[in-house]
This record gives sequence, C-alpha cells and structure tokens, in this order.
Amino acid sequence: MRSILTALTALTATALLASCAQEPPADRRVELLGDREQLIRLSVDLRGMHPTEEELRQFEDSGDKEATYAAYADLWLSQDNFVERMVEVFDQRFLFRTGDVYFDPGEVGLDIDDRIMAEMIANEPLQLLRYTIANDLPYSTMVTAEHSMANPELALYWGMDYPDDGNGGWEPAQYVDGRPHAGVLTMTTTWQRYPSMGGNANRHRANAISKMFLCDDYLARPIVLNRAAVDQLTVDPENAINQNISCQSCHSTLDPLAANFFGFFNYDAEDGIDQTMYRPENEEEWRSYSGKEPGYFGRPTANINEFAEQLALDSRFSECAVRTVFEGLTQRTLSDEDWEELSEHRLVFDSSGQNVRELVRSIVNSNEYKARQALDPSLEERLAGVKTASPAQLAGIISQITGYRWFFDGRDALVDNAQGLAVLAGGTDGRYVTNRSYIPSVGTAFTMERYAQAAAWNVAEHDLDPNREGSAKLLYFVTVEDTPESNPEAFEEQIRFLYLASTGLPLDEEASEPAELTELWKYVYSVEASPVLAWSTVISVILRDPRVLFY
Amino acid sequence: MRRMNRKHRLDVTRRSFLGGSAALMGSAGLWAPREALAAVPERKFLFFFAGGGWDTTTILDPHFGTDGVDMDLDTVLGEAGGVRYTSGMDREGVDEFMAAYHRRIAIVNGIDAHSVGHDSGTQFMLTGTSASSYSDWPTVLAAKARLEYPLPHVIFSGPSYAGTAGSAVVRAGGGTLLSLIDGSINGQSDQPAPVTAPPADDIADDFVYKRIADFASQQNGLAKERAEGLLSNIERAMELEGRQFEAGLDNLGNGMLDQALKATELFRLGLARCAMISIPGGYDSHGNNMVQAPAQASFYEAIHEVMDHMASTPGHTTEWLIDEVVIVAMSEFGRTPRLNGGGGKDHWPYNSVFVAGAGVAGNQTLGSTDDSLIANTIDLSTGQPSSGGTVLGCEHVGLALLKIGGIDPSTVLPGVDVLDALVRG
Repeated sequence: MRSILTALTALTATALLASCAQEPPADRRVELLGDREQLIRLSVDLRGMHPTEEELRQFEDSGDKEATYAAYADLWLSQDNFVERMVEVFDQRFLFRTGDVYFDPGEVGLDIDDRIMAEMIANEPLQLLRYTIANDLPYSTMVTAEHSMANPELALYWGMDYPDDGNGGWEPAQYVDGRPHAGVLTMTTTWQRYPSMGGNANRHRANAISKMFLCDDYLARPIVLNRAAVDQLTVDPENAINQNISCQSCHSTLDPLAANFFGFFNYDAEDGIDQTMYRPENEEEWRSYSGKEPGYFGRPTANINEFAEQLALDSRFSECAVRTVFEGLTQRTLSDEDWEELSEHRLVFDSSGQNVRELVRSIVNSNEYKARQALDPSLEERLAGVKTASPAQLAGIISQITGYRWFFDGRDALVDNAQGLAVLAGGTDGRYVTNRSYIPSVGTAFTMERYAQAAAWNVAEHDLDPNREGSAKLLYFVTVEDTPESNPEAFEEQIRFLYLASTGLPLDEEASEPAELTELWKYVYSVEASPVLAWSTVISVILRDPRVLFY
Repeated sequence: MRRMNRKHRLDVTRRSFLGGSAALMGSAGLWAPREALAAVPERKFLFFFAGGGWDTTTILDPHFGTDGVDMDLDTVLGEAGGVRYTSGMDREGVDEFMAAYHRRIAIVNGIDAHSVGHDSGTQFMLTGTSASSYSDWPTVLAAKARLEYPLPHVIFSGPSYAGTAGSAVVRAGGGTLLSLIDGSINGQSDQPAPVTAPPADDIADDFVYKRIADFASQQNGLAKERAEGLLSNIERAMELEGRQFEAGLDNLGNGMLDQALKATELFRLGLARCAMISIPGGYDSHGNNMVQAPAQASFYEAIHEVMDHMASTPGHTTEWLIDEVVIVAMSEFGRTPRLNGGGGKDHWPYNSVFVAGAGVAGNQTLGSTDDSLIANTIDLSTGQPSSGGTVLGCEHVGLALLKIGGIDPSTVLPGVDVLDALVRG
C-alpha cells in the first residue's frame, strides 16, 4: 500500500512539475505592489495598523525580500493583533456582534451597561475563536470544544460555572443546566442570536449553522412551488414539507439538522431568562414537529456531539473556513474562477490540521495577495488592487499614527457601533447591515474627515504645548513659535515627515504638497492666529490621504 | 453653496472649479440653477418597508366570500376607481387616501417573494435575487441616476442591500450623519476638538480632493472603482457641508411621517434621489394578527399627508414634487390566508406591493391571487390573469420600478421580464 502511495505521490509531483513548467511564472499573473506597499498591506491585514518606519526600511534594505516578507508574516501572525483581525474576519460570516442584550442584566444582579453586556454576549463564541487560533487548535474546535467561554459576568448572566482558578478574564467554562457541550453549537449566545419559535421548529437555527460553517444558505435557494405544493402547505404545512418534492429539496436535509437542537427549543417567549435554558426533556420534541430524526445529511446522530463530529468532518466545513478567510483578506467575493487559487490554500489548511494561522500564512505569501493589479485578464475583474480599511482597521491605523482613538463615552466609535459610525464608515452591525461596503460612501468621507480633525487637533494641541510632558507625537520639526517665514526648512521637513508617518510612503523630491500645505497653514493662521489650529488643519488633511484608507 | 455635477457637467467643471480662489470656493453661488436641470427631469423614489411580513389581505389584497382566506372582522371591499382594497370602520383613513389619490395608485398582488425567511425574503423583494452582490432597487436607482445627488440613497431606517454600489448608500439613522455633516460630532467625543471653519475647511477639502483624484488616476479595475467612489463622495460631502442649513439638515426626524417629509425635502432640493423608511408595527404576527390593521392603516394615513405635502411643494426637476416622486411600500412576504390556532398568521410567499406617484400606471390593481391566496399567472403587459401567463415575481416588479426611474432593466437583470403594466406609457 505504501509503495502505491509513494508512486502516486511521485506521479502527482511529476505531473505538477510538468504543469508548472507549462504555466507562465506565477508573478506574471499579477503585477506586484512596491516593497513598502507590500509590507503595509501585510501589516494592516495581520495587525490592523501600518508597519513602523523602521520595519519598512529594514524590509527595503533586505537582500532577500521574499524571505524578509515571510519572516514579517511569521512575526505578525504570532501576535495578539492577528487574532483580533481574524475575529473581525470570521464575524463577517457569524454576525454575532449585534449589540443585542436579551434580558436585563439587573435580573441576575449585574450592574452593567447594556453595551458592555452586549459585547460580552457576542464574545462567548468569538472568545472560543480567539482561544482556538491563539492556541493553534484545529478550527473544528469551534464546534467540538467540550466547553463554552465566559468571564465572570457572562457566566452569571448565562448560568455558567466560572472556574475557581479563573483570573477574572475569559476562560473555558461549563453551563450548569445539563446541556452537552459542543463549542458554538451549545452556546446560549448562538441560539439567542439565531432563535426559533413555534412551527419554525429550529429550522432557522439549522440554517444558521449551515450558513456559518458550511457557507450554504438554504434560504438563498429560490423556491419553486407548484400548485399542489402550495395547496398542501395551506392545509397542513408539516405534511407538505414531508411529502412534497419541492419542499423536500431543502427540508429532507434541513429538518434532520434542526432536530438536533430541540434541547434548546423553548416555549415561553415572554420570559427572557427562561428562554436561555437547555431542557434535556425537550430533546425528543422533534417527534411533535417534523418527525424527522436528528441527523446530518443522511447519517443519524444520537446527540449534538455526534452532530458536531459530522459537521467538523464535512469537507464543506473546512472549505467554508478557507473561503471566509480568503474573502476577508482579499476583499474578493469568491467565484468559480477562484477555486484553483483557493484549493492551494485549502490544501495547506487541511494538511496543517485546520490551523487558521497556517491558512493565513499561505494566503498572504501568495503573489495574488501581494498584487497591485492583475495581468491575467480573467483575474482583472475580481482582484482588488487596493483594499479598503475596515472601520476597526482605520481606527488602528490612525491610532498608531497619532496615538488618538475616537472615544465616545469610553467606547471606540469605529469598533463599537453604538454611535452608528462604524456602519457609516462601511462596516456592519451584525443584523441590518451584514455586508461590508468596500466602496467608500459619503458616510465614509465624513467619518474620515471628522476623525482626522479630532486626531489632528489632539496631536497639535499636545505637541505644540511648550510645557508638554513626554516627546512629541508627530510635530518633531517645528515649535509653536515657528512660521513658514521664520523656519521654512522646518515646515518642509515637517510636512514630508507627516506624509511618511501617515501613509508609510515618502513624497517625491518634486512633490508640491509641502508648499501647498504651507500655504494652507498660512491661511488658517492668518484667520485664526493659532498655530495649533493651523497645524491641526494640515495634519487632518494628511490623515485623509487615500493611502490611509486604502492599502 | 456649491454644486459639483459630474453626470450633468455644468460650464464650471470640478477641476476648473478647484483652480479658483479659496474665497470664491467658500462663498460663491455656483449652485446649478434649476433651469439648467429642468431639461432632465428625474424621478425620485420613497421606499417604505414593513419588516416582519405584512398581511396582504389587511388592505391590499381583499378576499371576501371565500373560506380559503380569513379576513379581519367587520371589513368590506373598498373600491376607488380601479383600485380595490380592504375597507372597514377602523380604516376610514385608508378610504380617504384611496379616494383622493387612486388615479396615482397601483396595487400589485400575487407577487412571489421566493422565500418565507425574513432575511432572504427581504433580499428577494428588494433585489429580485438571493445573490449578495446585487444592490437593492433604491440603490440601483441612486447609483444609476443621471443627475448627481450628494446623498444618493438615504436610509432613514429599514433594510439595505448595497451590493456593489455601496458608495451610493448613506445611513442617516440616529442623527450621527447630521453631526458628521455639521461637525458637531467633534464636540461630542471624549476628547472634544474644534471644527475647522470655512473657508479653511473648503481649502482643506479641495486639497484632499486633488490627492484622491491623483491617486484614482493611477489605479485600474476595482482599485479605480474604489478610489473614484471616495472621490465622488468627497464631492458630495463638500456639497452637503455647504448646503446643510438650506436643507434643514438639523433634524432628520424620528417618526415615519417626520422622516418621510424630510425625505421629500431632500428630493426637492436635489440632495437625494431615493430614501428608505421602515413602517413601524410588529408585523410578524404569528401570535396575534390583530396587530396588522392599525399599523397598516396608520401608514396610509401618513402617506396621505406626504402626498398632500408633495402636491403643494415645488419639485426638483418638475413643477410639483408629486409629479416627480414615486412611493413604494412593501414587506418581505405575505402571511398565510388562514389564522393559525393562536389567532396569528404565519409566513406566506405571496406578497403585495403598493406603488403610487409619478410614472406609475395608476388607478388599477395588478396581479391577483385566488381564493386560497395563491398567485394566479398573469400577462405582464396588462397585469391581468392569463392562463398561459407568468407567475409574477418580485424581480418583475422591481424591474418595473427601475423602468419608471428611467433605467434600462436589462442592464440590471438581463433576460428577466418586466411588469410593464405598472409603467405609465
């Protein structure tokens, strides 16, 4: 057997080499970004911020760019920011961050702001994702972990046993209502976010799992109902669903999936806390609804853990994870033409034991990822030569440049959507706006403008204060006394530095920006007589440069 | 006030405009006079969405004299010209509205929503497809407008599918957009900052615009599309900053009527082409169908006020706004014909849409359902039942709206037929 496998492997390798030999070099398919731009893209995707100037120079000066790039990828993949970025990417599919609180935290003795509680609720599944990625566990842990995740507040809210040796942070935790544990599949957050009542009989939940982990939305399939089916539906919906061929095209597989979740099915829609409980006695309630035994695409499942095992073994499970990350990092909606490219990353993901870090490493090291534009016409329409920073990425970038975060009532306005700014800037809210907008809207334009003004004012006020403590944030070359007339060289140098710090890209020698922005400074100063306001205006303009939003 | 019009370029182009002096930019009246635009009238669209799934029989699709449909108690058939609806003691406001405006109204019944799921039904009704890359009807109308609008499609409340035309969509909810426009948000943050005042703000904006224009000129494909999206929206932002007081953008309203009247104001000023507003009410009436009638009746009373207001308000590209605006009201699907055991009605794929206003072939009821509330096939050119006809789909209705808006439907959903009967010839 081994010899056959070896021979097959050799043959495959030979065939692969032969086919590679016939292909044009990989980089012919795309034109790569410049050195600095490559590293900026990598950093924004993996860390949510620009590289430092030191990192950029080291990369530029390195003899082996590819190796240095890969080394940076390795380094940044190992950092906490990367895990946060993946949470952002995966939640585009999961949609857990809705800002919803399902009952008053005061009912369980928690004196806590609703927005904070909502974040904790959403974090139950997202913390499991963090835990999975940070510990290099297989992605299947998301549905097979024999625990949930909780901090002390969420444990109290949902009724979990927070571990005695917990340090007050997020820890693996167990529900105490007798439910089995299968990662996201047995979390109260999941079933509150995706509820089901009455005759829906957990079908909404089954479809939510299908969407999240198989990238297959039953409801996206057009319904073609013939007259007989509709007549049947009118008289006896459950029988129609069981007998009619049109209905069965979905329900033959959907209903057995749904039957796995009856322990979470609840009848008291009025009692918020009561709805969150698991009831072992309801596990057999599928008999009263669809009558379909619990199963997974033709295989019977005795309990939710067996269901989870089947789900994790489904090739679509792995494929969906790859697709989610690929689409999140490339800002490309997958089409049939992308499958070959995707398959390479899928191979890496599967052979690494569904390791998300390895998957991302594979994607960011590909030439398609590093591309400025496609040379292959078939790729041209799909490849995004510039990517648009998400609201959270934008917050990270501007914070890194200026040290300023746009807080309202102690909450980051581009990370938490309470103000609505994240959605205005092209983000999602997990419920009504579920797809990111990569083309900036007028909301993005205004958000950029006001955020830049706030950050710039903060910098100028700090840096030009003669009595400030600590070093300047950005205004290293000028003082509050300097004017373009008294120190023109400092103005030129300062503006060039601001561009470099903000975009990661130096201005050309002949660039007109220093002169134009010096004129802007003079104009504002002539009206307001305030060097702080003048510099604030100049900095804000630079922070609105397209190279800050696009990467 | 200023006007940057790319689609209908005026004598003063954006680039030459940028070359002018800062003072001129800050204060000169370069706004395109209405006469310049009058040659290209363009319809505006006010969309309303009843989230949860409305009962089509409550107003739009009456079925009396059949056991197949449970109608509300004490209701009767109402008729106003060619418009048939459900009337009753608790629906007098609906009677008054239909009597006043039936010539402009078309009710479309028997529409297959292709789904009974809330999310997917909403997507189907608003885009005609289940593919996430498709934009909804108002977004398409806004993105493909001939004129330039600073707020192409304003979402006061309700659903939105931006698809690939996200740059045309602006969410106004919560007043945050307003505080961004007037800069007051700078004073609301935990570390307040002053707002840069004009004309310095205008010079700053112009500089940013130039940088983005240079950047866009160096891009190709999707990158260019994104950069140009930012560029056009910088333009829009600049115009809004200049016109915020004229537009009364100090309050976008809280209730549906307030928001609708504000939307008409944005239309009048040429600031927006489309708007979306959700219709309040708990329409997902599995447990109690009695909630449907008051919610739906209130809606028609509200749009009666809106229509009256538009009838006496000058339009943007027509003499009166009522001759320019199309009102569209829909929900994600209908509800079952019979009450369930709990006195509620469940999800049902056959739906109705209310359309009124400019370009609409009014005074008629199009499409139909049988005594079991199942769609009859129809002739799309007449909207009347036809044995060899088509089951009316939400896509046919949506494409008719695009046609009313002057957009070639085949550029959006090629090969899909249009409910031509809805379009005034």
